[in-house]
This record gives sequence, structure tokens and C-alpha cells, in this order.
Amino acid sequence: MFDMVSRRGFVSLSAAAAAGLGLAGCSGNKTSEPAGSDAGSAKASSKKVVELQVFAANSLEKALPEVQELYTDQTGTTFADTQFKASGDLVEQMRAGAAVDVLITASKGTMDDAEAAELVDADTREDMFVNDLVIIRAEGSDTKVEAIADVANLDGKIAIGDAKTVPAGKYANQALASVGLYTGTEGDDGEYAPEIADKVALADKVGTAAAYVSTGDCVAGFVYSSDIFRYDGIEEAFVCPEDSHKPIVYPGAVAESSEHADEAKAFIDFCLSNKKVQKIWAKYGFELSA
Amino acid sequence: MLNRFRMLVACALTFALCWVPGFAFAGNAEDGAQVAATAHGLSYGIEGFERLAKGTARDMEGQPEGYRFPVDEDVDLVAALAADRVVVWISPKAVEKYGLDPQDNESVSGLKALVCELDSANCMGGAQLGDVDLPWYVTAETTFDAGGYTYGFDERGADGDRYVVIASASGDAKGGARWLDSAQMVEASSVVLRDEQGPLASLASLLGGIDYRPFWVSIKTSGLALVIAFALGLFAAWKTMGTTSRVKGLLDSVFTIPMVLPPTVCGFLLLMLFGRSTGVGQWLIAHGISIVFTWPAAVISAVVVSFPLVYRTALGAFESLDTQMLDAARTLGWSERRIFAKLMMPLGWPSIAAGTVLAFARAMGEFGCTLFFAGNYAGITQTIPIAIYFEWMGGNTSVALFWVVVVIAFSFLVILFINMYTAHSQKYRKRGLSRAERKRIKDLAGQGDSLDPAGGDALRIDREALAELMRDDAALQGGR
Repeated sequence: MFDMVSRRGFVSLSAAAAAGLGLAGCSGNKTSEPAGSDAGSAKASSKKVVELQVFAANSLEKALPEVQELYTDQTGTTFADTQFKASGDLVEQMRAGAAVDVLITASKGTMDDAEAAELVDADTREDMFVNDLVIIRAEGSDTKVEAIADVANLDGKIAIGDAKTVPAGKYANQALASVGLYTGTEGDDGEYAPEIADKVALADKVGTAAAYVSTGDCVAGFVYSSDIFRYDGIEEAFVCPEDSHKPIVYPGAVAESSEHADEAKAFIDFCLSNKKVQKIWAKYGFELSA
Repeated sequence: MLNRFRMLVACALTFALCWVPGFAFAGNAEDGAQVAATAHGLSYGIEGFERLAKGTARDMEGQPEGYRFPVDEDVDLVAALAADRVVVWISPKAVEKYGLDPQDNESVSGLKALVCELDSANCMGGAQLGDVDLPWYVTAETTFDAGGYTYGFDERGADGDRYVVIASASGDAKGGARWLDSAQMVEASSVVLRDEQGPLASLASLLGGIDYRPFWVSIKTSGLALVIAFALGLFAAWKTMGTTSRVKGLLDSVFTIPMVLPPTVCGFLLLMLFGRSTGVGQWLIAHGISIVFTWPAAVISAVVVSFPLVYRTALGAFESLDTQMLDAARTLGWSERRIFAKLMMPLGWPSIAAGTVLAFARAMGEFGCTLFFAGNYAGITQTIPIAIYFEWMGGNTSVALFWVVVVIAFSFLVILFINMYTAHSQKYRKRGLSRAERKRIKDLAGQGDSLDPAGGDALRIDREALAELMRDDAALQGGR
């Protein structure tokens, strides 16, 4: 008898738990709707306000919001909270089902992944920026780097993006491979040479590498030249020669799942044609790709 | 009471102390670089200084061809750094107005100093003109050849806008300007220098510039999560208690495992369950349950990690109750529900309350699972812990520090609350004891009920409390 009661209890418990979860999901969905319907009513009131969701490479974190502000001023198109993460993470997030209108990554490889997974519309893909790879040091530090190979002689850690998801890390490894400090030429297919292997601090995005150097946890780091302009406390120590790594190109594309594909395309075009925007990119060290 | 007040004051003072260096350095770090400068003995000054770190060679409608930098219409001064020299252009108008001689080093040395000062103020960490020891080539010609590059300082595009265009016979025009400074020259007297911000003003601008949504998101998320976790946790504990030991062992591990697992594992599993990458997730999305990277996902993450805390503490509290007492209630015909509501809850309340507070703190502090499952969307799923991480990562150390202070203050409040509550519940226990004593006296006087006074202290307290509850109940019913 007691056994039966308990079994019944167990069944009812699991049923209740399932119902509870469902409820949580539903109620959550409901509560999230007001935000959506707010946007909806806003849409209704001022003609048709479109909200774009942009996924952009982490290095664009300072420059892109200024561009978006300008775009909102000029066209009224607003932006949902833009995600600035390592390009690989962004593609994974899209794969998991995040809603996206525009994707801008920091390497051809990551955009190729997105294209292969049919996450972006290949016809809208366009190379947007080029960037340089630099070795940075903390502002005012006496770290001297005159060549890429010099990093092996530094006394302290070297911050490098994790090549699995961070394009900057991949370029850095290519640069290291050019002087024999990394075994793979692709940048994510080898090991660090023994003289630097225990000095490398891997970062989950290029901004983290910059932050490690600015806080003094690392004496040097490999980042984009544009990162110098968006972080305080770091400065350029050495610009890696262009032939030491593959060209650093930022492709942009409209997401396949976008419900505002035309507006998304218009935004990408705006990024590449407006003169004021051109100045913002230039200020933060992004060169519009030729 | 006085003691507690003293503690509060001490906390407040600590925060104030933490805070002061925080905004002092925020003031230095904030944007708003210096764009104007002048110096003693100069008849001119510089305004509207702009440093462009990169040009472009992209084909763009209305713009001239070649590697170019867009500049303002009225710039009088352009400085470009090539590999072996600094090329500076001063507009003929400025040369004439301020009596400068481009060929004479002495004559432009003051201008050089101003340009270097502004360049380093606007370099944002990049290399600085003042640090490079290269010869300066100053000119007033609008087209200038130097070091294999041809500089056009006043080129017009089809759009009528002004550009500085660099051409090179070798094709690598980029080398002609690693970066480009441009500015207007004005009368020294009309230069408006920006005042240095005081610490108070910069604190105000910091506080004014902070996005406070993470606070509301945190409160909202952990509040709702707590309500759900509380209900589910109590229910699970109540039901688990009655089951046989084997089933109970299984249930217990299922319910507790989110507490032991790293939150990222929970996040990963939830993402797999609801995301588009698995069959289950696709089925759910097809049936309208699309919650990945939305606010409900943040709530679910918080529920998952905080639920075990409510569950464990409630189960512990229920199990420490005297089963004889519960059986006694059953013999009196009480339903299980009534036993739960009238007996188990009140008696287990101190532990349950403590567990609830812990669960709330856990929900507030949730990071890994939320980041995985709900992402980092400002105003929607960006809770305080996530904001701290991303603000620091984004270089906004002062904002991250602000949230850290908020969290510490909030945690102190929670601890204070727990302490006060414990004190309160102990008072309740004391009162219970004295009542028990009173009753024992009554018992001695021959009016006792049939409860056996033997057993440990705790047992006796429980029984007294039980007796009282039953009596209260009887009185209530009698009163009706």
C-alpha cells in the first residue's frame, strides 16, 4: 500500500515537474512577449521601424556602435543588442538557433563555415575591412619587440587568442609559424614550439588578449592594430609584416534566417559607402577593403 | 542594535573608500580626447584635430581613386607619417595669415610641438608622432612628392568632398601614411580648451552613462526563478520524502545533480535540449517553444541551478522532523496536504528560509549556464555577473567596478537579512521553550494531555510545538 502511494506520488511528481517546466516555459514566453509587442506597437506608430540584430567580430566592439548610432539617426532603423564575440562563437550561436540579421566575422574561414552551414546568404557576402596583426605591450612598459621571433625571449606570458574560435589567434599562430615558433602553417593545426609553449596564455576572444596585456598579466600579446585603439593601457610594440600571415579580412553577410534581409543588406552597404562612417572605421584602425 | 548600526556604517565607509579610486581613474579613462591646443608665444592654435588610423583604397561612389583619407572641408594642416619621414602640409591661407615659412624649421617648431601633443592625445595607444625621430617635410603645395609617394592634399571627389590622396609609383600607396592627422588652424585667442573634468563631474558622467538594465534583469530573472524553484523544490522534497529508498536515491540524485555539475554543463545540456542543433530542439522549435537566447532561457538557467538548494534544504528540514509526530497527525485524520501545510512547513521553515535565501543568491550569481543558454543580450538576458565580465572584457573597467560594488553591497544586505532572520527565529525558539516550560507546569498541575514528555530536547520542542499547533487548530475550529 505504502509502496503504491509512493509510486503514485512519483508519477504525479514527475507529471507536476513536467507541467511546471512547461508552465515556466509558457509563462516565460508570455512575459517575453510584452517586449516584442512593445516593439510591435512602436512599429505601428512610426511607420515601420525595423530592428536589426547584428553579430559582429569582437574587435568591432567600439567602432560598430558608433556606426549604428549614425545609421539609426539617419534611417530610423534600430538595433537589438549587438553581440560582439569571437567569430567562431558567433557562428556556433547562430547554429544553435539565435536570430540574426547581419553577421560580420574577422576571417574568411569563419564566414566560410557559416556559409557551409547555410546560416548566411552567400550572395550578400562582401569583404568589408582589412586589419593588421600587431604585437602589443602594456602602455609605458619597456618590453622590446623588434621581430616576431623576439617574443620567445620575453620574460613573461604572451596573450594569444584561442585559434579554435578566435581568428586573431589563428593569424598570430601563422605569424609565429613564419619564424618557426609554431608547427602548423594554417594556424590551428600545430603546437607551439617548446621555447614559448609554457608562456602562451590563450584568450577566448581577441579583446581578452588585449585585456590580459593591459592588466599586466601578460607582457605581450597578438591582437589587431584596431584593438589598440579600442582599449586603454596598451600600445603597439611591433607590426607583424603582412607576409607573415594570411590577409586579415572581415567579411560581412546577411543571415539566411533574417526577416529583414533588405534592411540588413542596406546596413552593410551603408557601412561601406558613407563618408562619416568611413571616418569612424578609420579612427578605430579599420581599413575598408579594396 | 547599536552594534549592527556600527557594522552598517563600517560597510558604507568601506564602499566609499573603494569607490574613490574607482571614479578617479574612470575620469582618466573616459572618452573625449583633446582636440584643440595652443601655446605661449604663438599667434595661432589648432582646432578640430582628427587622427585617422587607416585610409582606404576601396572603390566607392563619388570618391577619388587611390589610397585616400576623408578630411574636413576646411582643414589647414595635414600630417602623414611615412616610413622615413613626416610629411606636413599647411594651407597657403594659414601660411600667409600666421606668417609661417614652411622651409624654415624654426618657424614651424611651435606648430610641430602642438601637432605632436595632439597626436599623442589622440593616438589611443597607437604609435605617436612625437616618439619617432624622423625628418619633417613641411610644404604649402597642394601636390607634393616625397620618398616615392605623391601626396594630393586637396583632392576632390565627384561628391565634392575633400580627400587626401596618396599615390605611389610602386603601387603600395599605404606606406605613404601609416596614419594621418588633420586639423584646422585658428587664432590663438579663439582656441577653446576643454576643461579637465573634476572627479565629481566624471563620477556623475560615469553614473549617468551606465546602463542600469542588468540590475533589473538580474532582479527580475532571479525573482521569478526563485518563485519557481521554491515551489518545485518544496514539492519535490515533499514527494521524495514519502518514496521508497531506491526510488528516492534516484530522484535525489536527479534533483541534486545541477548543484554538483559545473553550470556550463547544465547550459550545454539545455542548449542541446532546446537548440536547433538536435532533433529534440528542432521539434520543440517547430512546436513554438523557441527559447534559446531569450529571457525565459535566463530564467530556466537560474531555476536549474537554484532548485537543488531549495530542494536539499527542504528535504533536510522535512527529514529531521519526528515521523511519529507526522504519524500522530495522520491518526487524527489529517490529510497529507494539511500535514504539509500546517506541520511540515512551519516546523521546517527556518532551514527552508535559509535555503531560499541561498537559492536566490545562487540565481543572482548565475553566470555559466545563463551565458551558454541565454547569451549576453543587454536589457534582456544580460544579468549583473555577465555585465561585469563583458564590461571588463570591453575595457570598461570602471563600469565593471560599479557592478562589483553593487553586488558586494547587495550580498551584504542578504547576509544581514539572514543574520537578522536567524536572530528572529532563535527568539521564536526561546519563546517556544518558555511556553514548553509553562506547559510542563500545567502538566504537573494535572491538566496535561497525553503526550509523553520523555525524549531529547529537540523532540520535546517539536512535540510541544505540535501540541500547540493542534490546540490552536482545535480552538480555531471550535471558534467557528
